[in-house]
Amino acid sequence: MTANQNELLSALVDGELKGNELEQALQLLSTSDTAKAQFKRHQFVSDVLHGYVSQNRSVDLTGRITDALLDDPSISSATKRKALVIAFPAYFWKQATGLALAASVGAMAVLGVMSQPQNELMPIAAVASIEAPVQPMIVAQTGNRWTVGEKEVEDRLNTYLVNHNEYAGASSVFSYARVVSYDAGQ
Amino acid sequence: MDLELVQRVQEGDKKAFDVLILKYQQRIVHVITGFVHDPVEALDVAQEAFIKAYRAIPNFRGDSAFYTWLYRIAINTAKNHLTARARRPPAMDVDALDATNYYDAPELKEFETPESSLISDELEQAIQQAINDLPEDTATAIRLREFEGMSYEEIAQVMECPIGTVRSRIFRAREAIEKQIYEIMSEEE
Repeated sequence: MTANQNELLSALVDGELKGNELEQALQLLSTSDTAKAQFKRHQFVSDVLHGYVSQNRSVDLTGRITDALLDDPSISSATKRKALVIAFPAYFWKQATGLALAASVGAMAVLGVMSQPQNELMPIAAVASIEAPVQPMIVAQTGNRWTVGEKEVEDRLNTYLVNHNEYAGASSVFSYARVVSYDAGQ
Repeated sequence: MDLELVQRVQEGDKKAFDVLILKYQQRIVHVITGFVHDPVEALDVAQEAFIKAYRAIPNFRGDSAFYTWLYRIAINTAKNHLTARARRPPAMDVDALDATNYYDAPELKEFETPESSLISDELEQAIQQAINDLPEDTATAIRLREFEGMSYEEIAQVMECPIGTVRSRIFRAREAIEKQIYEIMSEEE
């Protein structure tokens, strides 16, 4: 084993490896018995220094545990299921999420349009002009024109309505003209 | 520190779990020995604890350190073992957060035989001697790492040197201490 590999295993004992170096160390441990023995010695030194060693005895449970895990089919199938669930790379999930969102929005838009009755398929401006004002209802109750106590206010409001009607008529937008009428003098 | 290893296990990497066993088996056996005095039984309980941990690891979310989580499993397994054997567990209830200080607990020391205590003293002296014989920089690096619990980055800052140098010094110190330890252990055998 090279000095660099030995240092790598010593750093693994201290939990100081990440990414490629960790991968390298794991590979080394799984392929080389010498490396595994060296890692165990490094770990044992650390354990002795911390007083974790009972009666100066070095233990090795890896073989027993590996055998026990191999004998238990429920464990191996459980980890395999888990592995399958998260085996896709991160970018895959990002793209899939984006596509799913776009598809949902598209489907909702199409369904929304399809479910509208035909007579409601009109420009947005027209819809707004129908739905927004509630005043025409008031006018309808009092006749087809504004009826306000003060003459000045009444005249001004009627002027607005006339102007609006002219504009609406020119732009073929459904107008208030259906529910209001001109005053005699206008 | 163990999170990347745990994530690898969760992704089905068995090698990563082997590393976690190698890393913590001595500590876990030591903790379990505080409950289950028979060394052979203690190994069986430790094995069971690791298997339970492996089964549960897909649900480990990293809310606590991996060792704290593993420690709880080990303690519960030991207590269950004692219950199954209709023995009384020790009165002391150990909090998982005290896990790292547990080796100092008097409840553990009382199970040491006079002979094993003598060997431990001898080992301790040999380790101290090995550290004292090291070049100053190397001795400081291993002390900061093992006794102060500093990361390589922190040691590099304290010693004003690159992290690679810290890594190299700690490895050399371990090699020297290792020689002393194995000399004593081979004398015992």
